[in-house]
Formats: sequence, C-alpha cells, structure tokens
Amino acid sequence: MSDPRAHPPRSPLRRPDIAGYLWAVGVVAAATTLAWPLYHAVGFHGENVLMLYLVGVLWIATHHSRSAAVLTSVLSVVAYDLIFVKPFYTFAVSDQQYLITFGVMLATGLVISALTHRVREHSEEARQAWERVEAEFLRNTLLSGVSHDLRTPLSAITGAASTLIENRDHLSDAAQSEMLDTIYGESERMERLINNLLDMTRVESGGLQVKKEWQPLQEVVGSVLHRLERRLGGRKLKTDLPPDLPLVQIDSVLIGQVLMNLLDNAIAYTPPTSTIQIRARQAGDGREVAIDVIDDGPGIPAGTETRVFQKFFRAAQPEKRQGIGLGLAICRGIVEAHGGTIGAGNRPEGGAVFRFTIPMTQSPPPMIDAMTEREPAWQT
Amino acid sequence: MADLKPTVLVIEDEPPLQRFLRVTLEAQSFKVIEATSGENGLRHAATAQPDLVVLDLGLPDMDGVEVTRRLREWTAIPIIIVSARGKEQDKVVALDAGADDYLTKPFGVGELLARVRVALRHLAAANRDTGDPIFEARGLRVDLSRREVTIDGNAVHLTPNEFKLLTVLVKNAGKVLTHRQLLKEVWGPGSAEETHYLRVYMNQLRQKLEGDATRPQLLLTEPGVGYRLLDQ
Repeated sequence: MSDPRAHPPRSPLRRPDIAGYLWAVGVVAAATTLAWPLYHAVGFHGENVLMLYLVGVLWIATHHSRSAAVLTSVLSVVAYDLIFVKPFYTFAVSDQQYLITFGVMLATGLVISALTHRVREHSEEARQAWERVEAEFLRNTLLSGVSHDLRTPLSAITGAASTLIENRDHLSDAAQSEMLDTIYGESERMERLINNLLDMTRVESGGLQVKKEWQPLQEVVGSVLHRLERRLGGRKLKTDLPPDLPLVQIDSVLIGQVLMNLLDNAIAYTPPTSTIQIRARQAGDGREVAIDVIDDGPGIPAGTETRVFQKFFRAAQPEKRQGIGLGLAICRGIVEAHGGTIGAGNRPEGGAVFRFTIPMTQSPPPMIDAMTEREPAWQT
Repeated sequence: MADLKPTVLVIEDEPPLQRFLRVTLEAQSFKVIEATSGENGLRHAATAQPDLVVLDLGLPDMDGVEVTRRLREWTAIPIIIVSARGKEQDKVVALDAGADDYLTKPFGVGELLARVRVALRHLAAANRDTGDPIFEARGLRVDLSRREVTIDGNAVHLTPNEFKLLTVLVKNAGKVLTHRQLLKEVWGPGSAEETHYLRVYMNQLRQKLEGDATRPQLLLTEPGVGYRLLDQ
C-alpha cells in the first residue's frame, strides 16, 4: 500500500527558484555569446538572433519555474535590445516593430511555462491516481487473499471442534484424535499466516528494528531447524556450513525468520520425499557471506525469478497454494534491511535455489583478550 | 496436614487464556488462583502465598515487568511470564528483572507444564540448598563435583570457560537463561554486552557435545532471548 508520507503534495507557495534564476542568467548570457559572432561575422538577421533567445526561454520554461521563465524573457528582451537593436547599447528602440517582438517573446515564455506547469501537474495527478489504483488493488488482493486464507483453517477448526462437541460419543478414539490434530495443526497454520501479515506490515511501515550482533551462522540455522523439525515431514534436511565461516553481524531473530520462510517455501513446493539443503559460503572475495536454500523440487517457473519476491505473488495454482504470498517478500525486506541481496533461480540438475547475502563490511570482533583462554584444550 | 496441592497464581486479563490456564493447571492437580490485573495479582501473591506465578506481560493496569520487580522485592517464588511474539526485548527485561521463564503466545499445554515443572523443581532444589551434582540427558552426563563430562560414556574435554558455561546451564537445567545472565556468570559483570563470546563458546560446546552445531537437541537457542539446556 502506498505511504502518503512518501509523496507530500507540492506546495503552491514554493521558495524562490534561485537555481532557476541563475540558469536564466546563464542561458541569456550563452545565447548572447553565441549570437554575437553569428550576427556580426556571419550576418544573421535580428529575427534569427531572437530565435536563439527564444530557445533559451523555451528551455527555462520547460525545466524551471514560471518566474525563472519570466526572468529569462525579460533578460532576453533587454539583452537583445541592448546588443542587437540599433541604436546599440541603449534601450532606445528605433523601429516600433520590435516592441511587438518583445511582447511575443514575453508571452511565449509565460505560455510555455504555464503549459509545462500544467503538464507537470497532470502527470503528477496521473501518477497519484495510478498509485491509488495500485494501492486499492493491493488492498483488495490482500483482503480477499487474507480472508480466504484465514477462513480455510478456521473452517477446519470450527468443523473439527463442533464434531467433537456434538458427536463425541459416536467417534472412535482414532477419529477423535484426528479431529484434535486438525484443530491443532490448522491453528498453527493460522498463526503463521497472522505472523506473516504482521511481519509484512512491519517491513512495509519501516518499523523493522534490526538489532545486529556478531554471531556464528550455525546458531541461527540450528534454532530454525529445531523449530521446523515437525513440519519437515519425510523430507531430508542437510546443512553445509564450513566450521571456519566467519561470524556475521545480523539480527538473529530476523535472519531466522528469513531462513524459516525460505524453508517453509521449500516445504510447500516440494514432495515429501525431497531433500532440502542449507549451504553457507564466503563469497565476493570475502566481502559477503552467501546462504543458499536448495531443494530438488520442480523449481520455480521461468520468468518469475524476481516476481516471487513481490507481495502476494504465488507460483502455485490457487487450489494448491499454501500461504498468502508474503513469505518471500518479508525475506527480501529483512535481507535488504541488513544491506544484503536476495535472489532465486533453478539448478541445472533440477530444483530451486534461493540465495541471500549478508555483507561483511566490518571485520568480526577479535576473540583474543582476557576473556579467551590462551591454550585451548581442544587443540591438543 | 494442610492442602498439599501446589498453588498457582495466574495473572491474566484475557478470559479465554485465563480459562485455558485454569483448566489445564487444575487437570494437573494444581490449585489455581486468578487475578485479572497487576495490582490484584500483587495483592493475591501477598495474601495467598502461591508456589508459582504465571504472569501475562500485557496487563491493562501495570507493566508485567513492574509486577515482576515488585514481587522480587520480597519473594523468590518462580514467575513464568506470558508474552506475545515479537516482544523479545520485553521478555529479556522481565527475565533480567527476576522472572524465571517465559512462554510465547500461543503456546501448548506441553510447553506450559514443562516450564511449571522445571520452575517448581528449581524452587525445591533451592530450598534444599543442594543442587543435584549429576546431570544426565540424552547420553550427556555431567558430574559437577568431579568436573567430569561424558557422552555415551566417552570423556569429553572442555576448556575452563566451556566447563564454566556448561556448569551454569546444568545448574539451571530446563530454564531459560538470558545472554546477560550467562555472560555475567561466566565472564563476570563487566562483560554483559559481549554476546559474541557467549555465542562462539556455545557453538564450540554444541560441536563437542552434540556433534553438529546446526542440529542442537540439548543446548537450545531461545531466539532473541538466550539459551536453554533441555533436561530430558
């Protein structure tokens, strides 16, 4: 949704366009400098010299404020009168016709700048209108998506709970525990949806507070895998983090969320027999650490490599979809808040790869001082 | 003898959660006292002498951290705080203020009872004033008095700091410990902000005790809060 603070309405009372005035003076001076040899050496007519000034007026009118355009017109008229109208170097005008020329020059400047101003306003209005349409579309997508996706688990919960309440005596133990499992599992799914919505709101509103601390990546991966264990189903999970990986400066909760969403995504789009891998390497000549989440599923549809990170984008068919299409958008928001990048692609041997990077702009803090031990026993 | 059922004071303002806590705890033979505000809770704590407090951090009248501080002025009874996701900083503040453990909403019965059990056990151990010097879980055996650590019977060599860290965790087995608490205990009061030391040592400890630091089963990370050594 659009943030009204991002585009403050233009105030009709603008500060004096100092830059525009300087440009006006510069343009008139440039026109005069150019016209001088053309008039005296090449033999241009006064009318053609005037055209040069007119070009200057046009340029200022289209690029700067109206007052700057007026100033250019006035300066052009003055310069033209002084330098190119006989008698030279006076304001006296011998031919009455030139007065008309001056008038036209001034009018041109005013009309052009008024037109430009109006065109600008129109394009601004058009842009705002487009943003309103876009925001409206997003809001509608969000509302319909969210209500659909919340209602699905809610229906299952209501159904299972009412079955238990009303038919408890007729249900076998197995059926009862199946109902209870449904209630529990679907509540968890609802919780994930709501968490994603809240996270997205935080990412969007700029309310993401990144509390960076130096830490081994192993810990974040470990805590995510511990929470994920039950959702893996039959999928195998491999980790490949070299022990000499440097400490990274991250918010462990947020980067944990990135990993969690990437793994959730891999689980959602792969069959239960697949293998998911988490791999981390130093990359970019040690200037960053790259973390890959790799699966051997069907991969991501060609051409959607960037779009998967957009809000509400879902690769699967509506009946197969899992979430509301926010997980990867949240990942992007969090990774970018860390100064990193995130991307997706397919492996030649099949399956998708999601990679995000953590910049290593500073070197990790040393571990050598009074707090560490001089002779680590594990090296003997 | 008087009533032997342990008493739990539940300070919670949301009726559905209140009901869930009461039903669950009563099913486990606890006596439950309910309070719906901080002031009310503090009064009940003083008059009813509960064995444990379950405290929601988001109360209408008073910050849960404040309730924790006021309770800690005069009692050491275990306090388990209940708080929403994304409020890690609040949890850390409450834990550092003296709360014993926390639960993140929504939570299941298993988690709730595990926290309660651990808190009551630590209270009992503190009253006996002698912690069990031997800790055993999932093949790991730590003998604090003999300074011996074994996994499946095989001796593990730890550095002095690693052992110190493990000792603090073992003494608080099952309980969450904040980064600040661990740093103060192991490296001294001046090191409470040097979290990377703690994290690196924890990583080493996991490698030695669990083989793979990315698949911990015992030394768990509580994201944004601290660590917990599982006691089963």
